[in-house]
Amino acid sequence: MSGHEVFLVGLSHKSAPIDVREKVALTGDDLKAALGDLRGMDGVTEALVVSTCNRVEVFVHADAEEPARRFFTSRAPDADGHLYVKRGMEAIRHLFRVAASLDSMVVGEQQILGQVKEAYGLASAASAAGAYFSRLCNRAFATAKRVRTETDIGKGASSMSQVAVELVEKIFGDLKGRSILLVGAGKMGALSAKALAVLGADRVLVTNRSPERGLALAEQVAGTFRTWEELPRLLTEADVVIVSTGAPTYVVTKEMARAAMRARHTRSLCLIDLAVPRNVDPACADLGDVFAYDVDDMERVVEATHQARRGEALRAEAIVEAEVMAFTREREARAALPVLAQLRRRAERIARAEAERTLAQVGAKLDEKGRRSVEAMAQAIVNKLLHGPTARLKEAASSGDTALPGAAADLFGIEADAAGQEGRPPGDRPERAAASTERS
Amino acid sequence: MSVLILRAAAVLYALAAGAYVAFFARPRHTRVATVGFWLLAAAFAVHAAAIGVGCAEFGGREFFSLRGGLVLMVWLGAGAYLFLGRYYHMPTVGAFITPLILVVLVPAVFGEPGRPGVPPETLRNPSVTVHIITAVLGVALFGIAFGVALMYLLQEREVKGKHFGALFSRLPSLDSLDQLTQRLVRAGFVFYSVALVAGTLTARVVWKSAWSWDPQQVISLAIWILYGAMVQLRHTGWHGRRYAVLTLVGFVLVLGSMLTLGMVPGATRHSGTYGAPVSEAGGAQ
Repeated sequence: MSGHEVFLVGLSHKSAPIDVREKVALTGDDLKAALGDLRGMDGVTEALVVSTCNRVEVFVHADAEEPARRFFTSRAPDADGHLYVKRGMEAIRHLFRVAASLDSMVVGEQQILGQVKEAYGLASAASAAGAYFSRLCNRAFATAKRVRTETDIGKGASSMSQVAVELVEKIFGDLKGRSILLVGAGKMGALSAKALAVLGADRVLVTNRSPERGLALAEQVAGTFRTWEELPRLLTEADVVIVSTGAPTYVVTKEMARAAMRARHTRSLCLIDLAVPRNVDPACADLGDVFAYDVDDMERVVEATHQARRGEALRAEAIVEAEVMAFTREREARAALPVLAQLRRRAERIARAEAERTLAQVGAKLDEKGRRSVEAMAQAIVNKLLHGPTARLKEAASSGDTALPGAAADLFGIEADAAGQEGRPPGDRPERAAASTERS
Repeated sequence: MSVLILRAAAVLYALAAGAYVAFFARPRHTRVATVGFWLLAAAFAVHAAAIGVGCAEFGGREFFSLRGGLVLMVWLGAGAYLFLGRYYHMPTVGAFITPLILVVLVPAVFGEPGRPGVPPETLRNPSVTVHIITAVLGVALFGIAFGVALMYLLQEREVKGKHFGALFSRLPSLDSLDQLTQRLVRAGFVFYSVALVAGTLTARVVWKSAWSWDPQQVISLAIWILYGAMVQLRHTGWHGRRYAVLTLVGFVLVLGSMLTLGMVPGATRHSGTYGAPVSEAGGAQ
């Protein structure tokens, strides 16, 4: 493969702490400039940089890893100890796993595929990614899509706020015409209230013992602040109540819930208690149409999701493996075919020339049938002679053996450029010639 | 002839049920639900043909028997579900309704339609047709409500019991199930009311009195009062679990009374000779 292959140098949440990651993370114009620098380095034909808050990874198609390593060491000298380096099939597998969200902090999360697509878009726009990375990335995206549709890796709620969303969805469907009440200024509560925004609640009410923090929180979640004394009445207004105060006792008692339910008529009430110690009396759940959950309940769901995803991840890995194998095999087949095509073309040229020479000498003595026999004989010799090498070369190509095509090129004195250079645009000449030879 | 077409329809119903259940087991394959929908639509169409041919063969007499009633109920129930499917996107409901349809249909598919008590000429009256169709449609809607209420109770157990398993993710939200039950009960009640009015008018003509303490009349009135009460209770705040339980009880009562009255010969004038003088019925036999 003329010495060029894929190299990956990178660091992620698994190998480096945040303070190292943030030093090397790049966005926008800085990233474009960095891509330009990489592409400009000696021996680098293509480059791709995936930079998110959890990982910075530099893929280069080059003759060595050094240019990619320099990307990190020039920005953060202390990054060296956190870097991992992969090459060839290992690097390809890594990219496929990242795109399929198998290497994510939360396995199966949806964002990463978009981020890799964005990274490829940038590299492509900056002319850093060429034909090879185009094929590689598109295969990675296709793999990610297969994993998503063929496994349940993205299913289930993987965080507390997602659990809250899922619960509320199963009780109310959506929150149109309904309201959320946030009791207390806990961080988890605010996060959940924000996550619930996807269900389209009409309004968010906020109450807190201290009005200052309550008002600040109300502003943060785009809600309305109500005083603490109003709480019993708010329980009749809101449909989803998220409680996370620092109070050591029950803030919502069973009595309060019972009174609220009487006034609520036909509307169910969902109480989500995110506080430890608990702020909602668990006995509230005994009331009809009251759905009450505490931190333990929610965490159990998160754990169940993670467990299910671990199971699905095994199936996803198998898909990734199959795709990596298919991709590398295709690449190698592409590399070997030009040698074969050249070889066959040359042999046929010789056969044709020799047949013509013979016919020029004795052609006059032969009739049409005889002339055709001579041509056929020449062709048959070529076919018989090349039958073994053709089969062997094809076999070598699909089993990933690149030594044999090289040896064949040497042995028959075929030009090196025909040995399938990486980085050629698709449909480039030798390949097209190979394809047409294959068909004939 | 009609029974053969009906058997073909039954096969299609079974395939539709299979598709819906398969979709329920593997919700990722949404196409399976679509296949189920169209299989059900095909079953509905073939079933319609069976009913048409049956009417030509027996002059509509078969719908005076329990068997005919159940067959008609399946047809109207399937139609109602297809109609609902266009407005509510809840394909998982199909996994509950189609098996129910199959269970009701299967006994009717085996064996010939037989010769139900031939209704006297006096019963050949448009009000009887209205009575039969609306009554059966009302019961079919109660049947679908039964299925949806069952889903509600299952989902409520998941949500309340903090057990977020396979059912939790597959069943629709409690709110939508509750609303659907309520609408089905209300629509069923409307049709059932029409059936009672048509039945009373017919009784006045045929039996010469609107009310004669016939067991079918008594039970129908009880069912009508029950569902009427459910429609009323909704306005006073009944919903959710209690409403779902009531829906289940209501339909068990409906089905139970239909089966008992249909199986005990002579229990009601809704069977056999339909209260006509024996000589007249015998003559027609």
